[in-house]
Amino acid sequence: MNQPCNSMEPRVMDDDMLKLAVGDQGPQEEAGQLAKQEGILFKDVLSLQLDFRNILRIDNLWQFENLRKLQLDNNIIEKIEGLENLAHLVWLDLSFNNIETIEGLDTLVNLEDLSLFNNRISKIDSLDALVKLQVLSLGNNRIDNMMNIIYLRRFKCLRTLSLSRNPISEAEDYKMFICAYLPDLMYLDYRRIDDHTASVSLSVSQPCETDSSSPQKKLAEAKHQYSIDELKHQENLMQAQLEDEQAQREELEKHKTAFVEHLNGSFLFDSMYAEDSEGNNLSYLPGVGELLETYKDKFVIICVNIFEYGLKQQEKRKTELDTFSECVREAIQENQEQGKRKIAKFEEKHLSSLSAIREELELPNIEKMILECSADISELFDALMTLEMQLVEQLEETINMFERNIVDMVGLFIENVQSLMAQCRDLENHHHEKLLEISISTLEKIVEGDLDEDLPNDLRALFVDKDTIVNAVGASHDIHLLKIDNREDELVTRINSWCTRLIDRIHKDEIMRNRKRVKEINQYIDHMQSELDNLECGDILD
Amino acid sequence: MEVLREKVEEEEEAEREEAAEWAEWARMEKMMRPVEVRKEEITLKQETLRDLEKKLSEIQITVSAELPAFTKDTIDISKLPISYKTNTPKEEHLLQVADNFSRQYSHLCPDRVPLFLHPLNECEVPKFVSTTLRPTLMPYPELYNWDSCAQFVSDFLTMVPLPDPLKPTIKKEEKVLPKKYTIKPPRDLCSRFEQEQEVKKQQEIRAQEKKRLREEEERLMEAEKAKPDALHGLRVHSWVLVLSGKREVPENFFIDPFTGHSYSTQDEHFLGIESLWNHKNYWINMQDCWNCCKDLIFDLGDPVRWEYMLLGTDKSQLSLTEEDDSGINDEDDVENLGKEDEDKSFDMPHSWVEQIEISPEAFETRCPNGKKVIQYKRAKLEKWAPYLNSNGLVSRLTTYEDLQCTNILEIKEWYQNREDMLELKHINKTTDLKTDYFKPGHPQALRVHSYKSMQPEMDRVIEFYETARVDGLMKREETPRTMTEYYQGRPDFLSYRHASFGPRVKKLTLSSAESNPRPIVKITERFFRNPAKPAEEDVAERVFLVAEERIQLRYHCREDHITASKREFLRRTEVDSKGNKIIMTPDMCISFEVEPMEHTKKLLYQYEAMMHLKREEKLSRHQVWESELEVLEILKLREEEEAAHTLTISIYDTKRNEKSKEYREAMERMMHEEHLRQVETQLDYLAPFLAQLPPGEKLTCWQAVRLKDECLSDFKQRLINKANLIQARFEKETQELQKKQQWYQENQVTLTPEDEDLYLSYCSQAMFRIRILEQRLNRHKELAPLKYLALEEKLYKDPRLGELQKIFA
Repeated sequence: MNQPCNSMEPRVMDDDMLKLAVGDQGPQEEAGQLAKQEGILFKDVLSLQLDFRNILRIDNLWQFENLRKLQLDNNIIEKIEGLENLAHLVWLDLSFNNIETIEGLDTLVNLEDLSLFNNRISKIDSLDALVKLQVLSLGNNRIDNMMNIIYLRRFKCLRTLSLSRNPISEAEDYKMFICAYLPDLMYLDYRRIDDHTASVSLSVSQPCETDSSSPQKKLAEAKHQYSIDELKHQENLMQAQLEDEQAQREELEKHKTAFVEHLNGSFLFDSMYAEDSEGNNLSYLPGVGELLETYKDKFVIICVNIFEYGLKQQEKRKTELDTFSECVREAIQENQEQGKRKIAKFEEKHLSSLSAIREELELPNIEKMILECSADISELFDALMTLEMQLVEQLEETINMFERNIVDMVGLFIENVQSLMAQCRDLENHHHEKLLEISISTLEKIVEGDLDEDLPNDLRALFVDKDTIVNAVGASHDIHLLKIDNREDELVTRINSWCTRLIDRIHKDEIMRNRKRVKEINQYIDHMQSELDNLECGDILD
Repeated sequence: MEVLREKVEEEEEAEREEAAEWAEWARMEKMMRPVEVRKEEITLKQETLRDLEKKLSEIQITVSAELPAFTKDTIDISKLPISYKTNTPKEEHLLQVADNFSRQYSHLCPDRVPLFLHPLNECEVPKFVSTTLRPTLMPYPELYNWDSCAQFVSDFLTMVPLPDPLKPTIKKEEKVLPKKYTIKPPRDLCSRFEQEQEVKKQQEIRAQEKKRLREEEERLMEAEKAKPDALHGLRVHSWVLVLSGKREVPENFFIDPFTGHSYSTQDEHFLGIESLWNHKNYWINMQDCWNCCKDLIFDLGDPVRWEYMLLGTDKSQLSLTEEDDSGINDEDDVENLGKEDEDKSFDMPHSWVEQIEISPEAFETRCPNGKKVIQYKRAKLEKWAPYLNSNGLVSRLTTYEDLQCTNILEIKEWYQNREDMLELKHINKTTDLKTDYFKPGHPQALRVHSYKSMQPEMDRVIEFYETARVDGLMKREETPRTMTEYYQGRPDFLSYRHASFGPRVKKLTLSSAESNPRPIVKITERFFRNPAKPAEEDVAERVFLVAEERIQLRYHCREDHITASKREFLRRTEVDSKGNKIIMTPDMCISFEVEPMEHTKKLLYQYEAMMHLKREEKLSRHQVWESELEVLEILKLREEEEAAHTLTISIYDTKRNEKSKEYREAMERMMHEEHLRQVETQLDYLAPFLAQLPPGEKLTCWQAVRLKDECLSDFKQRLINKANLIQARFEKETQELQKKQQWYQENQVTLTPEDEDLYLSYCSQAMFRIRILEQRLNRHKELAPLKYLALEEKLYKDPRLGELQKIFA
């Protein structure tokens, strides 16, 4: 199989090749015979070696779901592909191929050891998914930009790196640079860092005035101090930003589960005015500014009330739910323990009676004892089923009680929120009346011509006649009411659907549990019974 | 029965604060001490705050008056200081005061027993009880607090029954009687009469029980207590009373000197108190003791309740009690009562006894001869000092079935300082089960070893300190046919292994060197849940039925399940119809799976699982075999340890630690030698000259000058001689070298290379010698004047030649 690669045509990875390889590399001797006898499924294969086969294209590997180690070295592969399904892969060897870019590795999240030695890669890239990467071999490639090293900083587990015989390894401070930028690295180009301190520090042409006996890492660090500091600073900033965002997201998520997101400020109020051009225009009327200010204050206070109330209620619901789950779990556990005890007791007895049967010689006696045994089995079945039914009843009662309580809670919450929302509406109505008053008085003033102040043109356009202004104010009012209604509806709908889903889930879980348990019991009893039957047959045959 | 010197000492200690009680014939007596106690001293101790601090760690010496005859034999009186044999005038005065006091007392209270005031000490000299107490601070921290101190005293005491349990002070009485005859007889008679009547009444009963009583007496007090005590209320005892107030003593309590236990003052065993004393004063109890000591009030400042003997000292004690005022009042009362018997300012004389000294050896030995036996009801406790027994035995408790102590039920032996860390050996005589308990640190990490015989393959349980073992073994139980091991904290989660053995097969081939292990029939292993594995792959129990070639597996139960997967492998090496070997068939693996899985159905999987189990089985068998070997090893080691029973010695124990002793002695020797050398170097330069003069006389000026001159001239001569000597040697060497050189030049031609070499080496050596001699000579020349001047200087300063200084001064 190991012929020199230039003497053969490119080969296709077909089923035959894979089968052959699997068969060759599978279990040996007796086990091998067995394996041959019943065949090996590709998905059971853990390790596969496909070297020196002149493969041009990776293919047909999708069945090897559980593959841990894959060797594809010394082929003529040009593109990394077809590895998407090998999510359990830990060890991947693609050395001595013709690969030009790193790609197609995004699903291999478990990869720890990657070898791309002797390829045509010029850029380290597309490795972001490999968070567990420990060993990376990229020697004998075409990497020529030192900045590729910085990309490797994200691999926190990376300990071994090989970059020799790349254009960048020619650079005079190549080792220094890598040591400086990858401080956690233990081995570089097959050598332990620090072991060759002396040679390196001597070979540095322009050492930054440090003691030449200091370890290599320190030396390297000192040399690239400034750039590294900057880099670190940036990284820290990024990190902090990410964390901030994360925290914000979490906070919002928390509010959302309480169904009161964005109610802890003027968000709702602002949104009321966001699409309300008339309202905005009207706010330029004399006296409306202050009116709006007080209106906003009051409105926000109510919103915050709703928000806080929502959080409190959420807390309450959570405790309720926790208590419920705790109790249910305890009940189930207790029940399981009982079941286990019953089974253990039964097994003890069963075992002894089985051995008694084996030793018994008289056929009638055997039959009698077998009968006794099956009676025992059915007794156990009854006992277990009774236990289960008992639990089902108990749980059902509990669940119903919980359901009632949680529905009550939700109902109360909705009611209270609605009353608070009604306050909002009252405020809006009040505001509307005031605004209308001011508008009409302003109109009158305008009609009479003794308006002192300048009004924006948009606003002035509204004051043509009474209908227009009333309509405008009304439209603004409608928009506001609509916003409030929408918010209320949203809250109510969401909490109701949450409640329904929760209850459904609980019921479904319970049903699932019950079915599983019944199935388990049946399976066990069947097994016991069939074992007994087999024994019977065997004995009769004897 | 021997009263040893220690005994005296120990008693001396007992009294740091003692309230002694003279059991009164009628009412006050102690049930607790059925054994007659020869009480030599009664110490009454009133503890005041300051005293208490001192006293708890103090030791006072009392020597009692009426030592029976045997004491005299054992105590060498001649070596005792003079204070033991005579009384100072002040003591004489005190004795008179005491006599006076006792006369008045017997006059006022004719029906009470005579006071125990001045017993005879070991030199037959009457001494007042208070002066037998001498507060002493001992260097042992253990003696600082009352409990450990009391324990020590009780260990130190040997109880010697009195000839007559009711008469502790026969001699004293006799001694006292001649002096104050007139008053004493009625009182004495009275009490005797009462006693006799009492005795007569119970004569019959006593006669019957006498024999038994005597036996019992020597035994346990409890045993005795069970029977009606003929002498109830008549016995005399003395014990220690500790008063509250000082050193955080919250309330008054009694200490019994024989047991070292403390008792509440409410304890019903203490039937009453006749008198109390400490090293400063003596009090008589004037309170009614009809309800034992329960109603007694220990306010010694109250003269109505406590009649004191000396006024002067009384005061100081009063001021230390809480009720200072009452103390002053008392004083008045005393005067009013007309108790002007003695000088009010009379102080208790200083104690005549020597300060007690307990050597570290004696302290460690504790009991007389380092051994003490205490009899209890149906039990006997023996105590030894550490290192007294070569096997480290420090105490042994033997419990008996019957009161006569003939049938032993069980024996418990405690050990100390054993190198094998054996702490306790428990032997149950009825079941014949022996259990050894070990402290941490045994080479085999043993904790408990219980066995019936040291033969292997018998019933035995060995527990281990599992953290000290690599394999985490906690316990190994063995019966003739099984071995069970319990593990904890193993990386492979093994928790239990049980092996049962079949009968040993007789081997025909006699390869005696090889052991013949019993065949293993079955091995059961249980495992804890390994959280890293899913439950259906985590084996909970596996049973290797070695004989049947069957392996049973039971897996752990999944969290939400009640049944667990099971699997059974049956290994059959058979040949099918075509003669091919059957490797694996489906019926070789019977399994029940809670959730059937695809891959486990495969023969390959089953085959691999079975192969794995086969290997595991081999390992387990090996493990069992090794365990057996280990048991053998442990037994061997235990036997060796028992035979050797070496004791460890702390490196700080300079007395017993041989190494450090050697080292110390070597150091001492070196020091000594060094010292000798120094002495030598400081030879007296004047000695030869002084010897010429008549000794002991002071030198005259003239003599001093002459001495100095002689000494100096002598020294000068020595220096010159030395220079000459070096010079002579130098010249001799040079001459020899020249001769040799000459000889060489003459014979150079005929010399063999060896001779030449010889010559050359001689030359270099000679040259070296000459050079050294030259150097020495030069040095001598340089130093000689200095040495001379130094000697001169020394001579001027020599005190013996003080006259010289006068001249030059």
